[in-house]
Formats: sequence, structure tokens, C-alpha cells
Amino acid sequence: MLPALLFICIVVPILAAGACFVVRAQAVRSATVLTTGALLTVGSVLLAAQGAFSFDPGTLGGLGWGTLISVLDFLLLAVILFYGFRLKSRLVQILALLQIAPLAWFELFALDHGAAVLPLHGDGLSLLMVLVISIVGSLICIFAIPYMKKHEEHLHLAKSRQPRFFFFLVLFLGAMNGLVLANNLLWLYFFFEVTTLCSFMLIGHDGTEEAVRNATRALWMNSLGGVAFVFGMILLYSRTGTLDLQALLMAGPLAGAVLLPVALICLAGFTKAAQVPFQSWLLGAMVAPTPVSALLHSSTMVKAGVYLVLRLSPLYAGSFLGTSIALFGGFSFLATAALALGQSNGKKILAYSTIGNLGLIIACAGLGTPAAMSAAILLILFHAVSKGLLFLCVGTIEQGIGSRDIEDMRGLYKVMPRTAIITVLGVATMLLPPFGVLLSKWLAIEAAAHNAPLVVMLALASALSVVYWGRWAGMLMSAPFSREVKPEPLSALTLRPLQILVGGAIVLALFIPWIYDSFALPMLGESVFSVHYGVLTTGAGAFAVYPLFFAVLLGALFAWWAARKSRFVPATSLYMGGANATGSLEEPAFVGPMNKPVKVAFGNYYLESVFGEGKLTRWVNIAALALLLLVMGGAL
Amino acid sequence: MLAQYIMLVFVGLLIAPVAGGLIAGLDRRVTARVQSRFGPPLLQPFYDVAKLLGKESMIVNSWQVFCAYMYLLGAVLSVVLLFLQSDLLLLFFVQAIGALFLVFGAMSAPSPYSQVGAQRELMQILAYEPLLILVFVGIYLATGSFQISEILTHEQPLLFKLPLLFIVLGYALTIKLRKSPFDFSTSHHAHQELVKGVTTEFSGPYLAIIEVAHWYETVLVLGLVALFWSTSLWGMLALLLGTYFLEILIDNTMARLTWRWMLSYVWIVGLVLSVLNLSWLYAS
Repeated sequence: MLPALLFICIVVPILAAGACFVVRAQAVRSATVLTTGALLTVGSVLLAAQGAFSFDPGTLGGLGWGTLISVLDFLLLAVILFYGFRLKSRLVQILALLQIAPLAWFELFALDHGAAVLPLHGDGLSLLMVLVISIVGSLICIFAIPYMKKHEEHLHLAKSRQPRFFFFLVLFLGAMNGLVLANNLLWLYFFFEVTTLCSFMLIGHDGTEEAVRNATRALWMNSLGGVAFVFGMILLYSRTGTLDLQALLMAGPLAGAVLLPVALICLAGFTKAAQVPFQSWLLGAMVAPTPVSALLHSSTMVKAGVYLVLRLSPLYAGSFLGTSIALFGGFSFLATAALALGQSNGKKILAYSTIGNLGLIIACAGLGTPAAMSAAILLILFHAVSKGLLFLCVGTIEQGIGSRDIEDMRGLYKVMPRTAIITVLGVATMLLPPFGVLLSKWLAIEAAAHNAPLVVMLALASALSVVYWGRWAGMLMSAPFSREVKPEPLSALTLRPLQILVGGAIVLALFIPWIYDSFALPMLGESVFSVHYGVLTTGAGAFAVYPLFFAVLLGALFAWWAARKSRFVPATSLYMGGANATGSLEEPAFVGPMNKPVKVAFGNYYLESVFGEGKLTRWVNIAALALLLLVMGGAL
Repeated sequence: MLAQYIMLVFVGLLIAPVAGGLIAGLDRRVTARVQSRFGPPLLQPFYDVAKLLGKESMIVNSWQVFCAYMYLLGAVLSVVLLFLQSDLLLLFFVQAIGALFLVFGAMSAPSPYSQVGAQRELMQILAYEPLLILVFVGIYLATGSFQISEILTHEQPLLFKLPLLFIVLGYALTIKLRKSPFDFSTSHHAHQELVKGVTTEFSGPYLAIIEVAHWYETVLVLGLVALFWSTSLWGMLALLLGTYFLEILIDNTMARLTWRWMLSYVWIVGLVLSVLNLSWLYAS
């Protein structure tokens, strides 16, 4: 059973990706993506149900899988090097060579190939990741089927580029599952690099000048992480004599010079998770079609970065390195919340919010206490579902109204009521109790309370994020009175993923105790919570999940019923200081100079003089670089 | 145990709005005296709400109705959590539901006054939110718990250990109670009542709901103040009366200032005071 499930989770998406590339018929591609999604969903659930496992796939017709991975590794780096030359990017070339040369030396001369290293291992964290990748990732791929069709119709392409697009999209899922299940650091590195290549290809998909430029930036930044990974891995091997992650973790916390390689691998994680000062590649990635953004932000790519930092957390827990990683993550959370406040571009707000939430996860990993680790693990799951949903919502809105600017989403409820309500609910799950993201934030603040600078950063960042989320949700509801709002037509493959994700984001809150017991508890060993009647109690506080969930649900249903009933209430005109130009609520206007009607116009406060990208980015990057030096110095 | 909880919930549900309304009435009378006027009867806020409830419903947008009820829900739930002596951070997050839905309600009407009110309200939230979190973290460091039931067992008044954080709470309180100099998203003064920021477009029963929700919020923030002298009933009363009277004085002596000023001033002063007080706690 286990080999079959692992085959489904890692190899099937890779095969399906090949099928998407080779067979060019739209129907076949759709069927392949749908089938793969179904297989992945079932496979990942069954795999998670099996619980923790270790697995050695043996050999493939006499050839060791390890050897195969090594060969593929060099092939992959050669491809990246090739693109370095094609893009004429000296940086990409150098960074690729800086991986190829040491890796070749390592594999040929330093590494003991005879030593037994367990290739695959699954525990709570990696199984939860597999579920997120397989289910959320599949939903995004399915959403992409109608989305890309429309996208290409809009571009008037002579020849469809969808086979290539779906090849990398589906390949991503397999690579991510491989990454989180890999126990041999060399395997992990291979899958890590596959995600770099996939993201590069997907970001540059549309082939515009801007897309290529941004893809190149993503490539060199992630290659920088790759270089850090290679050197970290080699150093770690030279100091501990093993590449077996479980063996390393079993040996317990490291100290002294052995922390340097760990810090290097964490640096690789930071670049992949687009932490400041590496945030620009993820923001540049916004040029890609929206399913790509959704995938990168929710279930793949950036999650690989935090996974890595979280995975290694027991090795540096309690050290100065841990404390400085916590500060670094906290700063990312704060800086990106401030940057998001200055944005009116919906996708950019989502991007900054992603980096911020990943920063919070990294801060928790740095703290390393069971409570902090629990917060991080829960946040990975809940952020993935809500953020995947919100990106898909923005994609749908963009195709509906032709803009991703939140100012243009004013009154969306009247034009696209379904999408507007789903988006509002999605924002609520990022922002309000009793949903999972907020519960994780609650736990994180309690866990960080003993670290004054960190808790100040979290408090400020959390307030800033309330403003940028709240503002957005409010605009979606803003609409003149209308007795009947007609639901907009959406294709099933667009609507279903949205519905499943929004349902998941809401209902998953009810399963928090169970999720915690199944995925976090076995890993952490000691429980942070005790659960009575769905109230999670820590030593320091309590979060009433069930009572709150039902109280809010009942209240919201009542409010919704009252709002529905109010359709028959007479509409009143707006208050304009007595200068209403017309009685119409559709086009509010007031009497202006020369008795001419002046249309009412308003906008949000973006505080650009303080929080604008142009004002803030440079200082944020300088501060983040200083903190990064602190992290690296802390390891020495 | 369960019966006791249920009783506490009902006490919170029923007593809080009565207390909040009385405080609002008392506030108006004391304010009037400070300004050498007589002021309305003590029960005037109740008369006002009763009158509003009797009016015909008129709305600009159905979302307004939804948001008014959600605002009430957030305020009521947070007061219930207060009476159940629950987690301070949880209570804080729940009150944020209410605060946000008031903003959503104002934003749902395409009206310049309520839109500007909503933006200003967001800036007020931005100003007080981090400070409240830091006050709660300070309480946690002093008592070892975020749980009000645990905090109440602390033997010394918290005020002694958290004097600066009490001042910080005062800033948050002034904003939450919508008092000058921080009252620009809505205000209780007669000359401004015609155009009242976030509530401009609410009328009749829905305005009444918002008024009642605000009473709940008043009880909530005063409950937080009371935590700072929870060891004796008289101490608590003295602290509450003193603080509230000071609020009225500040309200009447300060001019309303811009939100830009508020944001930078409250953040800077609040953060400096918080960090100082937190540092003492870490040191001790």
C-alpha cells in the first residue's frame, strides 16, 4: 500500500505532467488534470491516514534511485545553466556553476556512497504538507483549466502554450510532495531545485519582456538559495558525517560551528519563502497567470522555504541562531504588513500578506517552543487554504471586471455577487476569529510574549494587516441599494474550486483540535493544549473554538436573514449636506458649482507618503540585510 | 459549574447594556456640568434609543443591516467573554469583529461622509490595536496568564507593576470611547451630530443597534481598566470613576486633531511607554 501511495503522490503528477505536454488535445489535458487531482486527493488522504513512515524504494531495475536522482540533479543544473546563457544573465550562470562544481566534487570525492541513508520519511509536518500540496494544489490546477482557456483567448495566441503551462504546473505538485517527504538531503535538494525551475518557467510563461525579466530575477534569487543549500549540505556532511535528516534531528540540538551549515540551509529557505530582502522575486511573479500565483503562494514554492526552516528548527532551538531567526521572521511580518498597507493592487496585497505570514511562521520556527511550533504548523495549513482561495478569487474578479485594483472592486457585490461573497468570506478567514489563521496568530503572540522586540513587531504587524484586509472586504460590500442581485454565471470548474476552498477554510476551524492531535502532537511529543468542549487551553490562555464558532455562525445567519428581509425596506437617499443632485442611488451626485451635478468619488487611505513601496522598500531591505547578517553571525 | 457560567453569560448580556447606557447618560450630565449646562436627564440615552427603534427602517444598502447586527454580535460576544473571565487576547480578537463590521457597514454606503468616516475609523483601529496587544502582553508577564480568571487571583493591584501600560490603555480607551482628541470617525458632540462619520448613513432601528453595541463596548473597555485594581472593590470603583472622569475632562479640554497626528503620536508615545514598562517586567 505504502509504495503505491508514494507513487501516486510523487511519480503520478510527474507522469501526468508529461502527458499534458505530449498530448496536445484540450479534452485530454483537462481529463488528465482532473484525474490527477482526484488521485492525488485520495492518495494523500490515505497516506496521511497511515501515519508516520520510513521508506526505501530500493532499486529501479538494478539502478539505484539515488544514482538516478544525482544524474537528474546535474541535468537540471545544466538546464538552468543553459537558461543562464540564453537569458545572457551572468548572475544565473555563475550561481549555477557555483552549485555544479561543489556538488560534483562532493558526489565524486567526499560523499560515502556506501553509507545507508533513508531516502523517504513522513511525519506529521510532512504529511500535512502533502495534504496541502495535493488537495489545494490540485484544486488550483483544476481552476486553471477554464482560466487558461480564457487567458489565451484574451491573448489571441496562434499556437496554444497550455501544454507547457500545465506540464510545469502539475510537475510542481510532484516535486513538492517529493521535497517534503525526502529524508536524504541530496534528494531534498534535487526537488528543491525542480521547484526553482518550475517557478522560473511559470513566471516567464506569457513571454512578455516584463515576464522574462521577472522570471530571471526569480531564477537568480532562488539559485542563490540553491548555492547556500549546496554549501550548507556539504559543510553539514563534513561536520556530522551524515545526510540523513532524521538521524540529524534525533541527535538533538546542535551548537557551535555546526550551526553554520544549518544557517546556510535556512538561508536557502528564506530565499525560497521570499523573505525580505528577497521579496522582489515573489512580487515580480505576479505577472504570471493567476493560478501560478495561487500555487506559488499557497501550496508550493514559498511553503517549501518555510518547511525547510521549520524542519530544521529542533537543530537550532534555544540557540542565538534561533533567536535571530525569530527576529528576522518577525521583521518580515512587520515590513510586509506596512508595505501591503500602501498598495491598491489586489495581487500585491496578497503577495505581501503571504510573505508576512511566512515571516510569522519563520519567527515561530526560530522560537522553537512547542507552542510556537504548533502555531507554525497550523498556520501553514490555514494560510494555504485561505491564500489559495483569495488568489483564485482575484483571478476570477480580474477576468470578470478587467482589473486587479481593489479600488475597482467597489460595488463588486452588485456585479459578481457570488465571487464577492466568497472573497469576503476568504478575507474573514484570514482575519477574524474563530478561523484558523487567527488562532495561529493568537498562539504565536502567546508564544512570543517573552521576547519583547518580537512581540512588539507582531503587535504592529497584526494591526496593519487588520487595516489592509478590512479595507478590502469593506469595498467588496460597498454597493448602492439593489433589490435583486443576480448571481453571475461561472463555469463549474471555476466555481467548484472556489466553493470547496471557502468551505474548507471555514469548516477546517472546527477540526483544529483533531488536526492538532493528528499532525502536530506526534511531532512535538508534548501537548501544548488540553481540549474540553472544543476549548483549547494552554497554560497561559484559552481559545474557545467550538463555542465561538457556533456563536458567530448563529449571529451571522441571523444578520444575513435580517439583511435579506431588508430588501423590502424603502431605500433612502445618501446624505450630501442637503445638496443631492438626483434622487438616484445608482449614480450618487451632489449639486456643485454652476448648479452642475458632480459625481461622488472617494478612495481609500493608502498612506503612500509613509507606506509606499518607493518610500519603504529601500529601508526595509537595508534593515532585513542587517538582520540576515545577524542570523549568519549568530551561527558563527 | 456550567450553571454558573450560564448565569454569568446572562448577567453580561443584560447588565452590560444597562450599565453602558447609564454611563452614557452620566457622561452627558457630567460633561454638561463641566460646561456649565444642566444637561439631559440621566436616562436620555435610553429615550434616544427607544425613539430610534420606533422609527421606520430606511437603508442605503442591505449590507448595512448585516453589518449593524455583526457589530452588535462582536460587542456582545466580547462582553460575554469578559464576564466568563476568558482569554484577554481572544476577547480582543472578538471585539475586532465588531470594530471591523462597523467599518464595513460605513463602507457599504457609497456616501462621501460615511466613506471618510470608515477610513478614519480604520486609522483609529490601527492606532489602538497594537497598544492593546502590548497591554495584554504586559499583564501576562506580570501575572503569568492571559486568562482573566487567573489574573484576578493576582494578589497585588496590577497598576503598581504596569503604571505606564495603564497610561497606554488610557490612549486606547480614549479612542475606543470616541473622545477628543481622538474622535474623528464619529463624535457625540451636538454640533457634529448631523454628520457623524461612520454612522452617517445609518438611521432608525439600525442606528439604535449601533448605539446599544457601543454601550457594550464601553463596558468592555471599562472592564479592562478595572483589571488594574481587581484586588478590592473600592479600589476598582475609585480607579474606574477616576479614569472615566479624567476621560471626560480630556474630552472637554482637548481639540480634535487630525488622524495623521493621532497615528504618529499614539504609536510613538504608546510604544515608548509600553517598551519601558515591558523592560521593567523582563528585568524583574
